Amino acid sequence: MAELLLDSNIRVWVFLPIVLITFLIGILRHYVTILLSSEKKSELRQVSDSHALIRSRILRENGKYIPKQSFLVRKSFFNNEDKGFFKVEKRESQAKNPMTDPSMMTDMMKGNVTNVLPMIIIGGWINWAFSGFLTTKVPFPLTFRFKPMLQRGVELITLDASWVSSASWYFLNVFGLRSMYTLILGQDNAADQTRAMQDQMSGSAMMAPPDPMKAFKAEWEALEVATHDWALEGVEEELTGGIIQPETIYLRSKN
Amino acid sequence: MAQQMSLSEARTILKKFRDEQTRDSHLIINLWNSVLMDNCHKLGDELWLVYEQVCAAALDCQRFDTAELCIQALDNKFPKSIRVRRLKGMLYEAREEYTDAEEEYNSILEKDETNMYAKKRKIAILKARQKISEAIHSLNDYLKSFMTDYEAWNELCDLYLSQLDYNNAAFCLEELIMYNPHNHLYHQKYAEIRYTQGGNENIELARTYFAQAVKLNPNNLRALYGFFLSSSYLAVSSNKGVKDKQLNQKYSAWAAEQIQNKYESQQPESQLKETKVIECIEKLLDSLQAN
Repeated sequence: MAELLLDSNIRVWVFLPIVLITFLIGILRHYVTILLSSEKKSELRQVSDSHALIRSRILRENGKYIPKQSFLVRKSFFNNEDKGFFKVEKRESQAKNPMTDPSMMTDMMKGNVTNVLPMIIIGGWINWAFSGFLTTKVPFPLTFRFKPMLQRGVELITLDASWVSSASWYFLNVFGLRSMYTLILGQDNAADQTRAMQDQMSGSAMMAPPDPMKAFKAEWEALEVATHDWALEGVEEELTGGIIQPETIYLRSKN
Repeated sequence: MAQQMSLSEARTILKKFRDEQTRDSHLIINLWNSVLMDNCHKLGDELWLVYEQVCAAALDCQRFDTAELCIQALDNKFPKSIRVRRLKGMLYEAREEYTDAEEEYNSILEKDETNMYAKKRKIAILKARQKISEAIHSLNDYLKSFMTDYEAWNELCDLYLSQLDYNNAAFCLEELIMYNPHNHLYHQKYAEIRYTQGGNENIELARTYFAQAVKLNPNNLRALYGFFLSSSYLAVSSNKGVKDKQLNQKYSAWAAEQIQNKYESQQPESQLKETKVIECIEKLLDSLQAN
């Protein structure tokens, strides 16, 4: 097959502009996201719920290290039929309907505005303005399967698969420039860190369970079947019974 | 810090302190004065974190000029930040202007009721004003919402101990043991509290937890000595029959031997003669065997 020669104008007016446009759009989007992002506020009740769940989990896992009496006191604090924490505390389900909660609607919209919309608009515009060009060639041979990926907009059956069309070049840029952004905007993106400072690390930024009642129920069940098996039983005997400490074993094998 | 340190060294040290939450305020202030203060512009975005760290250290050392400088700089950069306002509150606290500090924290809490720092600072104010029982009360309230804040459990334990309320202090330590069952110091402290409470049952518990502490860290001499004391006590006054007494005698003999070994291997001959501990132990042991 005869070798293709690309007009150098394509390099100046198609290849480079696409790189530049995607790059600038990416940076712009980064700052718009920061501008639009709203602080996530957690409610006191949610935070304390997640704390209670974690404490109960720790009780189940490490309860064996405390005396039986103490274990039972704590278990009854959580699970007592009449007064237990998981029995008394009633939470309404937090599974919000996005349609009725305006704050969630705006969040969703912001996500769309910053991510999906530019993708469609810029992609469409690039397709419209630069369609039908071959922009570059990858320096290795590719199989026929790559044709729809690399040659969107140029459907020529006889064309070698290593040629890249303008529309595909745009998509390669969108995905390939991510590491450039980290290079330019900093590892965790310098602006992001500033935002963390503004966020004031609102306590432990723990995720609240979506539906506390369900989580309580599950934790209640798990704790109900947890038994106390004292880990310290007979530790004196173990200590004084002439069990060789690991250190000495090591030393002996060394000599 | 007499010798000059390079900028990057100082940075690494501060970063390490921040990550590990080490509180060596004098060193931080010295580093700031000798190295970092003149090189602020080279720190980049790290500067703000350093400002915060240095500010807290300065308050520890009563260096109000440095602290004010840091707060001023942070305030200009983050005018509405709650973290900066917390530092302001801490500055008031360090100057013992407690009402102002409390106002600052209250205004933070109005904006964000889940702010753990502000809540804990308020309790710290109560403690600084010697209102221990009020501090205990509000710390309990705090722990109702933030049950897994182990720093707070630890503090509550110490507050209870200062009030000689051993039962509640033991409860707090149980929480800490569950949080980190591999920390021998928690076990040791728990055992000490139980030992102080007295009574056969408590001392048996103390013996077990001392043993656990020794098991976790064979070099914990304090726990070893506690193990010796509690088992010798039980060897005399146990009411579980002769067998239990013999068992406890065996434990205390073992502990005594361990302690002696430790002293002999760590101390030179001349010092060993002056050490009274071993003498005491031997006497106690003799009296046990006489029984």
